[in-house]
Amino acid sequence: MSGDVRTVPPAPAGPHDLLPPNGRTNAWRAAVPVLVGLFALAVVLRITDPQSIGWMQNFFLVFSGLLVEALPFVLLGALVSAVIEVFVPMSTFERMARLPKAMQLPAAALGGIAFPVCECGSVPVARRLAMKGLAPQAAITFMLAAPILNPVVLASTYFAYRGRGVLWTMVLGRAALGMVVAITVGWVVGARSKDELLRPSAADAVEEADEHTGESRGSRFFGHMGGDFLFMGRFIVVGAGAAAAVQTFVPQSIVDGVASMPILGIVAMMGLAFLLSLCSESDAFVAASFVQFGPASQLSFLVFGPMVDIKLVALYMGIFSKGFARMVVIAAASVTLVACLWLQVWTG
Amino acid sequence: MSATTRDAIPRTIPLRWSAYRVATGLVLAAWATTFWFLLLAGRSTLYLSSRTAWVVPVGAVLLTLAAAGRLATAREQDPTSLGRRQSWLLGLLLVPVVLILVLPPSTLTSFAADRRGSAASAGYTAPAADIASGPLTLLDVAGAQTSKDGQRALAARAGEQVAFPGFVTREPDTPADEFLLTRFIVSCCVADATVAQVRIVNVQPGVWADDQWVSVTGTMYPLGREVLVDASRVAAIEEPSPAYLSP
Repeated sequence: MSGDVRTVPPAPAGPHDLLPPNGRTNAWRAAVPVLVGLFALAVVLRITDPQSIGWMQNFFLVFSGLLVEALPFVLLGALVSAVIEVFVPMSTFERMARLPKAMQLPAAALGGIAFPVCECGSVPVARRLAMKGLAPQAAITFMLAAPILNPVVLASTYFAYRGRGVLWTMVLGRAALGMVVAITVGWVVGARSKDELLRPSAADAVEEADEHTGESRGSRFFGHMGGDFLFMGRFIVVGAGAAAAVQTFVPQSIVDGVASMPILGIVAMMGLAFLLSLCSESDAFVAASFVQFGPASQLSFLVFGPMVDIKLVALYMGIFSKGFARMVVIAAASVTLVACLWLQVWTG
Repeated sequence: MSATTRDAIPRTIPLRWSAYRVATGLVLAAWATTFWFLLLAGRSTLYLSSRTAWVVPVGAVLLTLAAAGRLATAREQDPTSLGRRQSWLLGLLLVPVVLILVLPPSTLTSFAADRRGSAASAGYTAPAADIASGPLTLLDVAGAQTSKDGQRALAARAGEQVAFPGFVTREPDTPADEFLLTRFIVSCCVADATVAQVRIVNVQPGVWADDQWVSVTGTMYPLGREVLVDASRVAAIEEPSPAYLSP
């Protein structure tokens, strides 16, 4: 028989246009404890007024601020990802995969110029590109380069350093270094398959719409968009919580002492970029404030932060296999450190 | 047509509500509601810079469309159920919604100013030409501290009368007749806030508590990377909206 349409007994009409009774009961059983927990949280927050305590007020504000800023971009990334999944034919990616290897990674890095969102948006797109058949190293290169090379980020870097002698060193240096690091990490990742790249649960969780190929494009589009947003969202929530905790409990002044040390200055700025988990569209303003650090140290902050920070590591651990996530983090850190040290020696 | 042929005609499988799709649609709707709330209650700038506040209306519209689309397509032939683990994961996404909707509005305070400390002070560079003329703001003062040209342009205006709004903070060794007048400069969201500060001297001891919003009028004296204002008048004011400065 035809595989597309199943023959079934006639379905009863009316109220049965719902879940079967046991399905409804199970769904309520699963949902009620969560709803009760959320209601209890709301009551506790209202009664205790935790914002009267300084650190709690700061934590809640930074945590919420990170999410209010990041989630629209995650959704935008999920939207692009859903468009790629539903409307872009596989043949497009097969043609891209036939490009000479030497061209694939630079082309993927330059693709970031046309994608003006920060790192929260580039991760779901890269995952989707890998699932659609783009070479994993090209998807990784795109994911790392897009948050640095896009025009909004380079413009914000320009405005952050406007009026300083190092203006073009920072703007062009960020673009060039970002591209070099992204391509190198993509090259280090090598010719791994998408099955080695993605966690099985991440591939499964993309969306149940994958299984329903008979569904309309609209249904699949919204299925993928909502599914990607919610899947990424949980890691962003965890990452934002960790970043808010660091901002609340770790004084930034602790890095002052290492500013003038050649290697430690770069390492300290990379560490700070990791801990603060700032959006790549605003991090230049913070980097520019560290006037006690040299240009190479500030560049390490601007290149490493959009590739690896607390919230991104939470995301990477969620979607990539454990070894692969570790490899991306180590490769990005090593290449950034070496490139910035070379720059420091070169610029004196 | 024979009876056998009629039996073989495939019948469309009825669509039924998927508990999982409805639940995910409702989570998206909750976030859409939160973004509309931030927009309509004027709370966007508690979390974002005024230059990035456009994210909130865009997010509200996108989330509303995503929720509507998800709920409109929530019926399927073989409904996906909702398990306990999925429920808790969706619940995790609702925790920030509860925080934003339930907690009273607030902005960064002296606690954050202490944490961000000297390393992150003056996270903004103002062109020297902008500092050299026109009314001075705390943004100019902060921007001047990060370049030699800026410092020179500000030093040339020593002795001028200034009027700065801000809130009161203190360091452990701040004398009783002084305080630091502080504003946060936010480029994107409160996570990237940097501190703009001037030292106010000759104020009446014991009057101004930490985090009190005041307007200070006085004479400005730049001293290297620090700026002093000899206060002639200090008055309590309401917290401005937006409370943060934008570069």
